[in-house]
Amino acid sequence: MPVPTRVRRATVIVVLLAVLAASMLVAIGFGAVSVGPPDIGRAIARAITGEARAAGDAVIVDLRLPRVILAALVGACLASAGVLYQALFRNPLADPYILGMSAGAGLGAVIALTATASATALRFGVVPAGAFVGAVLTIVVVVRLASMRGTLDVTSLLLAGVALSYVLAALTSFVMVFFRESMASVVFWMMGGLTAASWPYVFMVAPMLAAGLAVPMSATRELNLMLLGEERAGELGVDVERFKRLLLAAGALLVAGAVSVSGLIGFVGLMTPHMVRLIIGPDHRLLLPASAIGGAIVMVLADLAARTVLAPVEIPVGIVTALVGGPFFIWLLVRRNGHR
Amino acid sequence: MSARLAYEAATVGYPGVTVVRDATLGVAPGEVVGLIGPNGAGKSTLLRAVTGAARVSAGRIILSGEPLDTLGPRERARIVGVVPQTVSAAFAFSAREFVLMGRHPHLGRLQHVSASDIALAEEVMERTDTLRLADEPVDTLSGGDLQRLALAQALAQQPSVLLLDEATSHLDLNHRLQVLDLVRDLADGGLAVLAVFHDLDLAARFSDRLGVVAEGSLGPIGSPPEVLTAPLLAQVFGVRAVVGTDAVTGAVAVTPVLREEAVTGDRCGRVLVVGGSGTAAPLLRRLHLAGYEVAAAALNRGDVDQAVAEALGLERVDLPAFGEIDARAEAEVVRMAAAADAVVVCEVPFGRANLGNLRALGRAAARSVLIGEFGPEREFSGGEATDVVARLVSAGAVTVVDSGEALAEVERLTCACGPHSDR
Repeated sequence: MPVPTRVRRATVIVVLLAVLAASMLVAIGFGAVSVGPPDIGRAIARAITGEARAAGDAVIVDLRLPRVILAALVGACLASAGVLYQALFRNPLADPYILGMSAGAGLGAVIALTATASATALRFGVVPAGAFVGAVLTIVVVVRLASMRGTLDVTSLLLAGVALSYVLAALTSFVMVFFRESMASVVFWMMGGLTAASWPYVFMVAPMLAAGLAVPMSATRELNLMLLGEERAGELGVDVERFKRLLLAAGALLVAGAVSVSGLIGFVGLMTPHMVRLIIGPDHRLLLPASAIGGAIVMVLADLAARTVLAPVEIPVGIVTALVGGPFFIWLLVRRNGHR
Repeated sequence: MSARLAYEAATVGYPGVTVVRDATLGVAPGEVVGLIGPNGAGKSTLLRAVTGAARVSAGRIILSGEPLDTLGPRERARIVGVVPQTVSAAFAFSAREFVLMGRHPHLGRLQHVSASDIALAEEVMERTDTLRLADEPVDTLSGGDLQRLALAQALAQQPSVLLLDEATSHLDLNHRLQVLDLVRDLADGGLAVLAVFHDLDLAARFSDRLGVVAEGSLGPIGSPPEVLTAPLLAQVFGVRAVVGTDAVTGAVAVTPVLREEAVTGDRCGRVLVVGGSGTAAPLLRRLHLAGYEVAAAALNRGDVDQAVAEALGLERVDLPAFGEIDARAEAEVVRMAAAADAVVVCEVPFGRANLGNLRALGRAAARSVLIGEFGPEREFSGGEATDVVARLVSAGAVTVVDSGEALAEVERLTCACGPHSDR
């Protein structure tokens, strides 16, 4: 198979976008009230042109549409972050959770959430900022711990990440116990859910996704070179230390975006890039955008399942992704061991 | 011509650890400089300092006239290509994509590889005998294939300095020579090459100069015959070796004889060995390892037995190449025979040139061990040697069939001196 041509890349992206659009239409249509694609189209058209709303429009435009879009954005954030960390650590098992960044973002978000419990208007700015600060601080501490023996090597980085995750989870529980009155909502948020979805959330996450993807999308060749190992990447002209910091920051932004609106949702960042890589290969020029779209599709469908399987009861979407992703993770582990 | 790569009193290492101190070395275009030395001496660290993987804590490294620390990683990668010792390829890029990664320092941020990049990649793959693998996923290839692909990748960088870190370690004999011939060609075309070698013969054969890295410093540096000497090998590697000239390539050839610390035997006593033409070399080594004080009777320079005796540092009488044993040399051997507890005569033919060795044993006949019957096939002295041997036997010399029995006889003859007696 030669170098992926533009045509091949364009085809893969177009197909994935079509699948995403179809999934979103299905997800918008399903619910307590079923809506067909023509009605969805008309409702959106009316909302865009400012025409007077029809009877069912509010459900579509104010509830389902922002929720489905938010699911897509969160999925894209998580899968892209997974791609970045898997390249950075040359390990298809790496993702934001193993590094402790999700836990760090979670703690930051919980602190922000409890600190501003009375002033909900602040939350949109404060919670993602808290999550970002939490994710960045976590990775800074993890990197410091891991590089105490000199250069930053991958094994100690993963170990430090796992160790710090435990500490952060304990601190999060401590904060929650301390602020009992908001514990129920925090616990529900921690399990990962999109129940609170609304347009302001969408407008908050979208730029975080765009910013978090812009840097790595302009450095896909460096991402490929990182797969050869840090030393080899350096020999071939990559400013490795600087690039790693850039990737960690971009990943932190993506993780913060996802965590601050939907809590801790696992396995999307691990599973999606892996499946996409199996199909289209390891080249990041295609892998990164394809995984972002793939993550969006996975998340839209997972959220659809979360709110329809036991309707009218809604399950946190994190439980759905864990139920699917956990066995997938185990399968990966077994397969890797089989190779040895 | 000025050096493409120059270490100027460079001290290299890792945070908190200095590996090589004060290294000074220049590699000019067209030159292959080999680094040799024991494991862990810092050969690789010297190379890694050039690509920033090891630190330069004092002095500096100059690349194409620019101090290394003024060059960014991309600029540096346009000057220096590296072939590492081991290449990892855990992800399924095709071999062609893998080689094209070497174009990275030449491509702009969003620039894609062009047809000319692909043509260049395929050309270097052709030269490294990897073009037939172009569409194979690299994670299915062997270590040898990967190593040649890494060379192709480094050449795709179009470097003017090439660093090889034991770059032929995973290659079979054919590909090893092929790769090193290619490297030699590239150097002749103006590339400056600095290569780490473990194989001293390969180092001698392919390098214009050799640098020895040992005990935290670089030096001596010189042509292979200047550097690869028996005393240096003993000092640096702790190995007694015969340094000769490879009959076919004309390069310096190193044959290790034994390790310094390998002499563990507790035998004592003096043994004189009469040999020549390689008949004595294994016995000399075995007696030396067993702990005996071994001496060699007169041998011609250029004789294998002489080289081994010299490498082992034995007391001996050297004759010029093709020279005969004269009265003075014979007197020396008489003296050595008188001092010996046992004398072993190997299965060497005797002619006019070496008859003196046999004659000199007259008074030591009772302590002599002759390996093999003395037949006409060993008689080149017109009957004189046969007479001398007959006299030795009648005076008490023992005849044995092989060197194993000879060792037993030597043990019997020397046992009187006891394991620790000091003569």
